[in-house]
Amino acid sequence: MSITIAIASGKGGTGKTTLTANIGICLSKLGKKVLLIDADVAMANLSLILGMQSSPITLHDVLLGEAQVHDSIYDGPQGVHFIPSGLSLDNYKRVDSERLSSVVRELEDNYDYILLDAAAGIEKNVLSAFSASQETLLITMPTSPAIADALKTKLVAQRLGSKVIGVVINFVMGEKGEINKQEVASILELPIYGSVPYDSEVRKSFMQQKVAPVSIRKPDAISSQEFMKIASRLTGLKVQDTIVEKKSFFSKLISKFRR
Amino acid sequence: MFGNMFRRISFRTKGDETSKPMAQVDFLKDFLSKHNYVFSKDFQENLGILKKKHLVDSFIVTNFDGSIIVASENSSHSEGIMGTAMLSYIKSEIPDSDTVLIKRENNWFMLFTLEKKVFIVEAGSELSNIELKALALELSILLEENKLVLREKQVMRE
Repeated sequence: MSITIAIASGKGGTGKTTLTANIGICLSKLGKKVLLIDADVAMANLSLILGMQSSPITLHDVLLGEAQVHDSIYDGPQGVHFIPSGLSLDNYKRVDSERLSSVVRELEDNYDYILLDAAAGIEKNVLSAFSASQETLLITMPTSPAIADALKTKLVAQRLGSKVIGVVINFVMGEKGEINKQEVASILELPIYGSVPYDSEVRKSFMQQKVAPVSIRKPDAISSQEFMKIASRLTGLKVQDTIVEKKSFFSKLISKFRR
Repeated sequence: MFGNMFRRISFRTKGDETSKPMAQVDFLKDFLSKHNYVFSKDFQENLGILKKKHLVDSFIVTNFDGSIIVASENSSHSEGIMGTAMLSYIKSEIPDSDTVLIKRENNWFMLFTLEKKVFIVEAGSELSNIELKALALELSILLEENKLVLREKQVMRE
């Protein structure tokens, strides 16, 4: 029996898909059997981040009743399994995302973790991801609009019976104006699962001939290390926090000359 | 020339002109306390909490004969009978229908069955099946818990 976790944020552009791909890979590195599902049926892009965009049978086909769920599972990087969503707009309009729960139920005996990459917002497609998952992991940025959306997402997930286990803060730069970890935890009344520093290596991972998540391309990058910590926390392992230090004037100056 | 260059480098490196929006932080800290849905021991009060949590105006649960099991409002008898009759008519005409949505003036009425009960939900906007089922499941748990409480009270009385 697997643990099914929806990765959600409310706000777009917080890094849900990047987090899903990378913690999936890290869980797999920790020896877990992992299935990633691109539950963002309207704006699917998990397949692009995994470098697996040409998958003929997708979640769209399964939700439309035109394919078996086992035919939509592909072998992803680092041994993870993956169900992509279609990139077609025509099919998206016909898809009944409410059937996602039954798809997950069919597969839950085969994996330790099923991660659902939820869409932004709190519309029907997102509700399907919450309804299909036992747990929800929120991701936000250290800014008030992103945290406000995470708050609403938390309430919606709870309304649909998904237990919100914690929050990941992404794009942390250590600026004075950022809302810090303790404050985010206090506002959302949730434990912090991770604080991922802004890392240009994540962005660069999309800009390669062969796209691969940062945890595979640069496992020693600061973001990869934090993704591993988040995955470890999900499995119940105790890990130390990453401290994002605010750089001094001179260290910033030196890093400018190094570029 | 050097002065300009230094100014440019200084701006690019030292430029953290941010400060924490404390008024917004305080506002957000207060947000969850306004959406605290903790059930009490009072069944009727819990129905009100459920209404707020699931963003609906009212709900009625009936048996298939139209008799009311529970209603969030007091004067729901006729709506319960009418809703159940309407749903059973539609089910007889379209047997595989799941949920019936009716828009009346500014409100939506949603009729569906779950665990041999008819649910009639009124809300300002139409809810998805997922949202309706989540409400119905939570309501069913509350009903079961209330049944146990009532049974315990009866045993105590005897």
